[in-house]
Formats: sequence, structure tokens, C-alpha cells
Amino acid sequence: MVYPFAAIVGQEQMKLALLLNAIDPLIGGVLIRGQKGTAKSTAVRGLAHLLPAQSVVRDCLCACDPSHPESFCPDCLRLSEAGTDLPQTQRSTPVIELPLNATEDMVLGSFDFEKALQKGARVFQPGLLAKAHRGFLYVDEVNLLVDHLVDVIMDAAGSGMNIVEREGISFQHASRFALVGTMNPEEGELRPQLLDRFGLCVAVEGEQDIETRAQLLEQREKFDADQAAHAESCRTASQSISEAITAAGSALVEVVIESHIRSFISNLCLENNVAGHRADLVLQRAARALAAYEGRTKVSEEDVARIAPMVFLHRRREAQSPPPPPPPQSQLQSEQDNPRDDETSDPRESQPPPSQHDSDSQPENQDSPDNSDSDQTNTADMGAEQDAVFSIGDTFKVRSIQSAQDRKLRTGSGRRSISRSSTRRGRYSRSAMSGANNDLALDATVRAAAIHQVHRPERRGMALAIERVDWRFKIRETRMSNFLLFVVDASGSMGAQARMVAVKGAVMSLLLDAYQKRDKIAMISFRGDDAELILPPTSSIETSARLLAELPVGGRTPLAEGIKTAQHELLRQLRREPECRPIALLVTDGKANSSQSGGSPWSHALKCAALAGADQRVRWVVVDTEAKGGMSLGLARQLAGSLNAEYFETEQLKARELIDLVRS
Amino acid sequence: MNTTYPFAAIVGQDRMKLALVLNVINPLLSGVLIRGEKGTGKSTACRALAEVLPEIEVLKDSAFMLSPEEVSSGFWQHCHNGTQAQYDLRKVSVVELPVGATEDRVVGTLDLEQALTKGEKRFEPGLLARAHRGFLYVDEVNLLDDHVVDLLLDSAAMGVNSVEREGVSFTHPARFTLVGTMNPEEGELRPQLLDRFGLCVNVAGINDPGQRVEVMERRAAFDQDGEAFTQKWQEESAELADKIIRAKELLPSVEADREILTAIARLCIETGIDGHRGDIIILKTAKTLAAWQGRTQVEAQDVDIAAELALPHRMRRQPFSEMGSAPIGAIG
Repeated sequence: MVYPFAAIVGQEQMKLALLLNAIDPLIGGVLIRGQKGTAKSTAVRGLAHLLPAQSVVRDCLCACDPSHPESFCPDCLRLSEAGTDLPQTQRSTPVIELPLNATEDMVLGSFDFEKALQKGARVFQPGLLAKAHRGFLYVDEVNLLVDHLVDVIMDAAGSGMNIVEREGISFQHASRFALVGTMNPEEGELRPQLLDRFGLCVAVEGEQDIETRAQLLEQREKFDADQAAHAESCRTASQSISEAITAAGSALVEVVIESHIRSFISNLCLENNVAGHRADLVLQRAARALAAYEGRTKVSEEDVARIAPMVFLHRRREAQSPPPPPPPQSQLQSEQDNPRDDETSDPRESQPPPSQHDSDSQPENQDSPDNSDSDQTNTADMGAEQDAVFSIGDTFKVRSIQSAQDRKLRTGSGRRSISRSSTRRGRYSRSAMSGANNDLALDATVRAAAIHQVHRPERRGMALAIERVDWRFKIRETRMSNFLLFVVDASGSMGAQARMVAVKGAVMSLLLDAYQKRDKIAMISFRGDDAELILPPTSSIETSARLLAELPVGGRTPLAEGIKTAQHELLRQLRREPECRPIALLVTDGKANSSQSGGSPWSHALKCAALAGADQRVRWVVVDTEAKGGMSLGLARQLAGSLNAEYFETEQLKARELIDLVRS
Repeated sequence: MNTTYPFAAIVGQDRMKLALVLNVINPLLSGVLIRGEKGTGKSTACRALAEVLPEIEVLKDSAFMLSPEEVSSGFWQHCHNGTQAQYDLRKVSVVELPVGATEDRVVGTLDLEQALTKGEKRFEPGLLARAHRGFLYVDEVNLLDDHVVDLLLDSAAMGVNSVEREGVSFTHPARFTLVGTMNPEEGELRPQLLDRFGLCVNVAGINDPGQRVEVMERRAAFDQDGEAFTQKWQEESAELADKIIRAKELLPSVEADREILTAIARLCIETGIDGHRGDIIILKTAKTLAAWQGRTQVEAQDVDIAAELALPHRMRRQPFSEMGSAPIGAIG
């Protein structure tokens, strides 16, 4: 029994967005973003019972619309061309749920092995995309869906067609559905491309009014106590919603949108700086549905204004950030006295600190070791004793960092780098004679058996005789987590001009990313005379975040020791888990000025780097924290060369994204 | 040799035992998460729970643990096509989900043997089918493979397991009480999964020397002769099971005033927890507590204890903030 839609207390925006889609499915669905426990899924499942009936061709697996012969599936097309009168039947608009465990063949449709084995016929078995045609496709926790399924759904949602060319089957049918997704943003964001496919987007939160909450509790208790009685008590409410949907659906064509409303819409879209034209179209459709729902025949500006937030929430583009101003040449000499830097000191001043991270301790950059960038000789006696703890700066979405693909089979999960999988999970890329886990590839098995049929008279009631030699197994690819080693320079030079605030922000962003990709992490910091493993390998990102917040800065830069300790830890981890694919992130400005070997710290660091970089199993990434412009020495870039590493400046770590989602 | 340590014989850890018992009485409490150090009786308690569980009617010769209502409501037509459905009385089951379980074993998958020898598509049920109407117990739940966690969330949310894999498309009811144990040193759970556990208790070793001695003595007696030990505790176990059944019968008639509801709502707004699941669980827990103590009216003290059980893991709002045992006002 499903909790009735009509009995949901509050959450008016979400309910409205769903209703508008029920009235006009061409609005393109809705994405519901919000906290846990805010009736997201309940609303969608409840909606299913209120949807109007529609007529379909009877026994058609693709639910073809009898009144639209142009979008018939191949089977219906054949029948209608042969002059057969297609039988019709009524069904209620489907809400098809896509479970997270779905495999690609079940979404797209694939060959029906039952018919293949028993009758020897090659028949297409429609998948979820066919079932969802002319209805809703609902994905709970859409941001946890594996990438290859996201691609498949996006493709169909975009074209309105599902074209299957796989496993020896070639088939296409219309697949137009309203995509409904729910997600909790904590668990990771969606790709902008997929976001845009959702017509509307609403953010939900718990109700803050005591009376409403108490009322909600009452409703829920009534439902749990006696579901049938509860459904009965809100039957009239349910019925009136259901009737309103049907009525509004047929009144849609009569609603007029005057030209001044159209220009109002396009101005709104321009003001909000949205990409493409989908926003304009969706806004127009949704406003029309709203007018129809409320029994009016003209769209008003107010309708548009009410819908607009749902259309723009996920489409608004980040305002173009102005290019960093060129450093004033004449002031080069005085730069070290001026605690301002175009990229590093800003976050605290121009933007509020991110609310989710406690930033009660503002950096005391006036008291921090004031050793300047270009002044390496003085750091020894200045920074050694004066440790400072900086707060964590603004976080951002980081660009994709992953390791290269290899041929090894792995059992893990996670969402960073693509790997072959030895579990029965992931995208079926091809088949092979031998395989792990009894993961049989039936299509390939049937094909392999087919050629031997002449010599196998005994069929045991099946159309095909299959023997052990015919068995083919699936080779799958999926994303898996990596081992991330953070090697953080905590020397005095990092504290200059409060740069550590931005650096901590960057490391925090990488940690957030690691959480969403479910990586295992460890952290090494180096300062003073030595490097220290401050966080042994763990999945506990909470601990690492706390350690990062507490990480003090000060002292010399034993870069070589940092790299050596990292290499040692990487080898240890590789011995323990040979398939963990480590990624080492070295966060430094490269200004080595201390070494236990006695020679030149910098050349010693380079030597260690070359040694560490020679290990093919480890992927190194250098994040350069040196202030750019003026007197940049480019040491970190040189270091990256020796390490055979990817090189990013802190700014370049940011994912280049058009859409700014972080509103709440 | 297969004797488990009796639930009634566990020394101390009253909070943990209470949380487990409440879940037995009211399956709608949606589970309990037990956090604590090594060797604090976490797993012992969960495994021992099986013994005090009540009996339920289950469809005979079916792997899906269906109740008479589910069969007759037509949710499951093809099980008894025309024939009279027969039922067994079975104890509520405790199904253990091993940390290394693979996805297809959890949700179920295509029956390969049937597919290849008979060319038939048949669904082979997984652990979620067996756990229906019972307990799904995950030891070290924080070490569970990440995508398995997602699957659990998926079915725990709506009480249904729908499978779309390898040519089989299948849906069956899967309402289970999720019981997990974890050692926080090994990493926290994702907030999303945390929220699915109705209650949460933190356990620690007992500090009272007398009780510690008691633990050792009982354990030694159990190891020496498990059967005799269980026999000795037979009476207590039976009494506990009886009390649970009585509370279960009383539960539907427990009522809560409007004042209780507003008090819960106010508490949840003040603590700033996400969403409404916290409110709902507190109310249900308070009702269950009242039933457990043989009352039919929820009192303020029930709400206090319920809040203490239902809120700690919901106070952690972001994946990164640590889970402190934040003090909640008005708890004695």
C-alpha cells in the first residue's frame, strides 16, 4: 500500500511540480533535491495512483499510441501496413521505477533468451525504456546511478527514441517519458548534461512549523495504524486531484499564451543567464499547465513567476568570473609587505565561509610567519617555532582525477576510475570463453552454440542444444575507488599571505570528492625536519577533515622527506592491496629548503621525485600552491616533471562547469 | 554446538537490549544501529535476538516469507493460482548479510541452471527475500561494499525489492528491520544510510567491576556447557518472549495526545535534524515504549527516552562532521 499523494502534508512546490508534469508530460520531468526524509519518494509513488488513463495498442510491448501511427514500433508498423486494425485498450499512465541494481540490457531491452533457447527465435524483449514510454521514468537516488545507465537514459530522453543495437538485436521504438529523479546532494552532484534533461527542479526541506509537523505525524500514524481506512478517508481528496489532472490535460490546448508573456519569459531566461533554449520552452509549457490546472484560459505573468524558480534552479549559470588582474609590475618589490594576493587571500573577505564547515577560527595571518615567497634564506630562523593554524577556505567541485585503465580484474566498488570488474556488476563490454563468477553471457552463448546445432541431434525439448564449450562469460567494466594519498606541505612558506586557507579549501574539496567517490585515503604532512604520516589509510573521511582543520603550518620545507615518506607508504599499501591503484596528491609550492641528507635540498628532492615517479603503479598529481604572477619560480612544475606527474595550479583543480547548483 | 548465548543472560547494555526489543515489538521502527568498541556484546546480542522472536504465519513452500494478507491482497497472485494457500508458523528470521556479499546474492538474480538446462527464465531469490518480515543483520555495516549499501537503501525505503537484471524483471516485498553493528574507528556510515536506521545506540565496555566479573563468569559457564547454560536461562528467555508478545498485542491501542505530538515536533525543529523521519520514529518509539511497559498512553518520559534513541545519529548533518553524542535536553 502506498501512502496517498493527497495526504502529504506541506511540500507544496514539489507537489505542484509533479502535478504539472502529470498534466503535460512534455514538460520533461522533475528533479527533487533535498534532505533525507522529506517525502520525496513517497510523493512520486503516490502520484502514480492519480494519473489519467491512456489508450494503447493491445499486446504491444512498447505501448504504442493508436492515434500516432508515425511513432509505431516496428511490430505495430508491420501490422498496420498490412491493413490490420490494431486492437486498443486502456491503461493508466505508468510510473516505471528504475532500480539502482538494473543492468543495461534490462533498461534498453535485449534479446529474449527464453524464446531463443526454446523456439530458436530471435525476439526483442523490451526494457524499462519501453515500459516507461508515455509515462514516467522514476529514478530514486538518481545521483547514485552508474554512469553508463545515465548515458543511456539521457540519450533516450533527448531523442525520444530508444535505438538498440546490441547482442545481435537491432530494434528501435519510441520512448518518450517524463524523467523524475530524487537525490540528496550530499552524496554527489549530477552531471550538468543530465540536469538539463529534467524540465523542473525543486529543493525540498523539512517543514519548520510545529503545527504542520504535528499534523504530519498524525497523518503518518493514521496511515500506519490502518492503511485501508486511511486511504478511504482521503479518497475524495485523491479523486478531486485525479479529476483536476485529467481536466487540465484536455484543457491545455485552449490556454492562450499572449506575446507579451512570451517576451516576459525570454527576458527572464536572459536575465538568469541560462544555457540553451530548453528553459524557455519548459517555462512556457509549465506555465500553461499551471493556468489549465487552475481553470484559466490565459497564462498570466504571475503563473510564469511562480514556475520560474523551478525552471532556473538547476540551469542558472555561474557568472563568468573575471580573469585575474595582471600583477602590478611596479609593485613587485613591495609585494611581500602587502598581505594581498590576487588568488589566495580573497576567499575570506569576498565570500562568506562555507556554512557546512566550521570556520570559527579565522586565520591569524598577521601573526603567522611572515616569510615571503622569494625569501628562502630567512625562513629557517623565522618560521621554525611560530606555528599557525589556518581555517579551511572555500571548497569547490574538483576536476576529474583518475588512474589509467588496465586489464586487471578487481572486486571493489566506488566511483573513481574505470576498471574491469570480477563481480557481476558494471557495463557488459564483451564476452569471453572464461570468466569469473558464473556471469554467463547468454547472447554470446547462444551464438556460439548455433553453429554446432547440425551435429547435435539431441535437444532435450529446447531449440538449441547447449554444451559446456559454448558457454561465454561477460566481461564487465565499472568504476571503482582508488587509494588517495595526500602529501601536504605544511611548511612556513605555505602560511605566507594566508595562502594555507585556500590550500586547505582545495584539499577539503579533494576530500569531499573522495567521499563521493568512496576512496580510501591517507595523509602525510611535511614541515620542519621531517614528514609524518598523520592519517594511516582509512575510509574515515571525517577524521581526515578534522586533521586537516587542525593541521598547523610553520617551519622549513623537507620536500625530499615528504616524497620519501609518501613512497614508503605507497609501497606498503601496494603490498597490502596490490590492486588498489594509488593516486598520490602532492600539495606544495616546491620551495624545498631542508633535507636530512645535507646536500642541496632542492636537488635532493628532485632525485627522490625521479625515484618515486619511476613506479608505474602510482599516479602522481602535483598541486602547485605558489602564488602566480610576479616572482613565481615554477619549482612545483619542475618537480612534477621529475615525478612524471600531472600538474595543476590550485585554480585549475576546479571543475569547469557552467552550472552553479550550490544555492542552498 | 550450535547454541547461541541467551539474550536474557547478557549483562548490562540495557540501552542496546531495549532498542533491539523495541524493534521486535514494532517492526515499523526500521532498525537499530549499534555503535561501539570491540567486545561489547554487540554481535552477541544481535545473534541472540533470534531466540526471543515471536512466530508469524508464512506461506508454505515459498522462498518469499509472505503473510496471508500479502497473498490475499493479490500482491502475489501467481503463488497460489487457484489452489488453497497453506501457511506455516515460523519464527521471525534473522538473516545475516555477510560483509563480502555480492549484489546478485543480495537482491537475487537469474537462476542459471534453469536458464541453461530448461531454457526458462526463473528468478532466484536473494537475501532480501529471506529477510522479508524479519531482521537483516549486518555485522560491521560500515565496511559493507558501497553499492550493496545503495541497494539496501533502495529496498529499505519502500519495502519492496525490484530487480532488473540479466533478463529477469521481478518485484517482491522486502520489508525488513535493519540491524547493524559498527566500530566507529573504521569509518562512519554515510548520512543517507544512517537515517534509515530508526534507532541508534552507543555501547561501551562496562565500568562496574562487579558487572565485569559477572560477564566473565557467565561467559565461562556458557563456554563450558552451552546447553546447560541455555537451559538455566530458559525461564528468563521465555518470560522475555512472553512480555514481547504482550507488548505487541497492546501496541495498536496505545495513544498519544496532541501535546505529545507538538512536543516531538518542537524537539526536532530545535535540534535541527533533516527531514521528518526523526519525528516519525520518535513517536513510534515512544508508543512502543509505552506498550512495553504495559501502558496505553504515551507519557513525556517515553518521548525523552525515544528521542535519546532516535536522535543521536540524525544530528550529524553533513558527511564530514563527526558524530558526537550530542546532549539532548531533558533526559534523565
